[in-house]
Amino acid sequence: MNLQPSAPFSRPGWRLWPGLAIAGALVVLAMAGLGALVWEASLPDMNELWRSRYLRTVVAFTVWQAFLSVVLSLLVAIPVARILARQSGFPGRVVLLRLMELSLVLPSIVAVSGLVSVYGRQGWLTGFANDWLGASWNLYGINGIVLAHVFFNAPLAARILLQAIESAPTSQLRIAAQLGLGRWWYWRAVEWPAVKPIMPGLAALVFTLCFTSFAIVMTLGGGPAATTIEVAIYQSLRFEFDAGQAALLAMVQLAICGFLWWLAARDGLTASLLPDRQVASHRSKAGSSFWARSGDAAALGLFVLFLVTPLIAILLRGLPGIGSAFFPEGSFSVNPALLDATLRSLAIALPAGLMSVSASLLILACGTAASQPAITRLTNVAAYLPLMVPPLVLGTGLFLLFRPNLGNSSEGLILVTLINAMMALPFVLQMLRGPMGNLDSASRQQADQLGVLGWYRWRWLHWPRMRRPLALAMAYGTGLSLGDFGVIALFGSLGQPTLPVLLYQQLGSYRIDAAAATGLWLVLLLLMLFSLFNRLGSPLFNAGLASKSSRTVPEPEHA
Amino acid sequence: MLIRAFTLLLLTLLAVSANAEKVSTLTIYTHPSFAAEWGPGPAVKDAFEQTCNCQINYVVLDSGGDILQRLRLEGKSSEADLVLGLDTGTMETTRQTGLLASHKTDLSALNLPVDWQDPVFVPYDWGYFAFVYDTEQLPEPPKSLEALIAAPDSLKIIIQDPRTSTPGLGLLLWMRQVYGDQAPEKWQQLKGKILTTTKSWSDGYFSLFMNGEAPMILSYSTSPAYHMAVDKTDRYQAAEFEEGHYLQVEVAALVKSSDQKELGQAFLDFMLSADFQRHIPLKNVMYPATDLGDELPAVFDKLIQPAEALYFDPKMVTDNRRQWLNEWLDAMTR
Repeated sequence: MNLQPSAPFSRPGWRLWPGLAIAGALVVLAMAGLGALVWEASLPDMNELWRSRYLRTVVAFTVWQAFLSVVLSLLVAIPVARILARQSGFPGRVVLLRLMELSLVLPSIVAVSGLVSVYGRQGWLTGFANDWLGASWNLYGINGIVLAHVFFNAPLAARILLQAIESAPTSQLRIAAQLGLGRWWYWRAVEWPAVKPIMPGLAALVFTLCFTSFAIVMTLGGGPAATTIEVAIYQSLRFEFDAGQAALLAMVQLAICGFLWWLAARDGLTASLLPDRQVASHRSKAGSSFWARSGDAAALGLFVLFLVTPLIAILLRGLPGIGSAFFPEGSFSVNPALLDATLRSLAIALPAGLMSVSASLLILACGTAASQPAITRLTNVAAYLPLMVPPLVLGTGLFLLFRPNLGNSSEGLILVTLINAMMALPFVLQMLRGPMGNLDSASRQQADQLGVLGWYRWRWLHWPRMRRPLALAMAYGTGLSLGDFGVIALFGSLGQPTLPVLLYQQLGSYRIDAAAATGLWLVLLLLMLFSLFNRLGSPLFNAGLASKSSRTVPEPEHA
Repeated sequence: MLIRAFTLLLLTLLAVSANAEKVSTLTIYTHPSFAAEWGPGPAVKDAFEQTCNCQINYVVLDSGGDILQRLRLEGKSSEADLVLGLDTGTMETTRQTGLLASHKTDLSALNLPVDWQDPVFVPYDWGYFAFVYDTEQLPEPPKSLEALIAAPDSLKIIIQDPRTSTPGLGLLLWMRQVYGDQAPEKWQQLKGKILTTTKSWSDGYFSLFMNGEAPMILSYSTSPAYHMAVDKTDRYQAAEFEEGHYLQVEVAALVKSSDQKELGQAFLDFMLSADFQRHIPLKNVMYPATDLGDELPAVFDKLIQPAEALYFDPKMVTDNRRQWLNEWLDAMTR
């Protein structure tokens, strides 16, 4: 049928099988982890879970704090995203976007230290509230947990929502602009339809992140009443060697989060059936009056304060030590330990980012190529498994699969890279899902008729449109791996630390100033990384066919 | 596909690394504070490598508990020749795995507050758990555990969770040793003073205590030694409690499946020599396991000298830990 000379990777199978294989491998890995535990000890009676008051409270508390965190994160994120979409030209917008991207990838111990400096007993804000408002505020308890979760997740959610609003179908934008819709109607007609398809997935993502939260919950939770399932799993595995109970709890976690993802995948895949040809500058009139602008500025100012004050605290705390971190004891050569740790971190994080982006694209391609919706849903849910399966369970499973040759020598670092890529997959996928799905069916059909398939389809149809989301996804994938401590701690290292490991080593040996400086350096490095990738992703040039074929008019300048 | 890729990568790398080995290598599983660049690990490695035609290879795991877990998972195929960094809380469970071998080290040089005759574990340092306080925020700290428990709830302390942290477990045992079956009630009285219960010592010390969030934190009696000797400040001190302080001993042991047993034994002997022990006081911030005489840094004389070392037999801990923990959970969540 097809008379065109075939392009590389143009057989239909290339769209289906690689993604399916990756999804399959993820399922196998998760099942192996669980299976290994069940193998070691028989699974306890499910009834035992409901009989134990402690376990019941743990499950209830985990769900409750995750639910609160999701609701608040989205309540913050939606207005922020809308304001940022309306106000596209204020100074500092680019910097704000970079800072928003930062919050999720911050190592939790660094972020918590910043949050405590602002909201803790001796925090700036607490002092202010006591002295000026006469209000008392206690960080430790559900307050602190939810606050920290909103700090981590609301900026991420806002960032993803902004991307969705900005890629709202042009036809709607044009009509809305012509009608001069007010805010409410603009939300109903343009913004809500744009964010609605990604909402279930976003909510599920934030829910899962908060559901599996561990160190933050313990540090800010105030006591063992604030125990999440993840803590209970750690306790069972590490402390009591009760593999059966760990497996049971892991299954409960998997069941709750997996069910949510299943629901999200059902609703979330109807994304964008409308043609999407990106045209800029159909701004709503709603954001242009003086009062509207002032209101936006005030609301955004509050959000900036919320986001930036902990970062400033991190900066202030790290500054005293940063000089001696780079140039120890007045020497003029850069501290080799810090330099090595930085390079080692990048050597893990960059390939991990690249791998997670590639894997996400293959999974998405598989999702669109599969003829059966069940397969699509399976691949989608599988991609989120790394978030739902507790790392300890996964690590145990990997050990039993690969023993005795695991993690003791240099192959350990390669494994760490692979696992990091896997852990970043859910986020990267979330970044790419919208833009990938936004390709309108007319363009698709046209491409099918012209036989633009395989590599060429990717190069000329997807790449020009995906450039910016890809850069953002790459930044997140790399950033998450750069700030990772959990995975590398799981497999052990050769005493050659990455930056987060160096940070924890310094903490463990009372080197508080040095640790604060390493934390600050990590934050700066992440910031540079996000800026670099955003620059790479900005459409400075649109090569040849791309601009002709898709009639791309300059995109809205958002990042 | 992913799994095949894993295996391929592993095989290639194994082939490469196998060629590189010439001298015999002693693989030691340990934890980060020992192996860190400024910890005792590197200095000890240099000193030992000079005495043998060998190489020390540290595999750094997150904590003592992780060393135990790794050993259990790897079983008889473990690459470890020696484990270093278990403590009195984890050693009995590790012994019960049957994966460790007995040692031939002469223990007569040991200088511990308790008599130590263990066929498997050789101590390399020890310390007391204690509450470290900020003298600027709290000039008059409680003088006993009882006084701390009876203090008003406005006195805030930071502790670690016994489920996830070594000092956390230490406090659980400390309370149990002092109060016996009354411990849960005492925990309930203490509860109002606990600002929060962190996952690890680092979380509490860095994020909270050094940020001034509470004037007292559960730590070690030796912590002030670092602040005094390196940070050059007397601000942080340990509160001495009349009831005595709970003892922690850190130990090393040979792995049964090791093919470098002689080398491992030589390392254990070396461990109790001055060339190893002199790095302990300031680099691991613990008491050395042997008497260092004049070599013990002067700041160690300024530390508290508990009247009594409280200590449970490790087997007793293993047998009762779960029940004591559940009682603690019950008291704290009620």
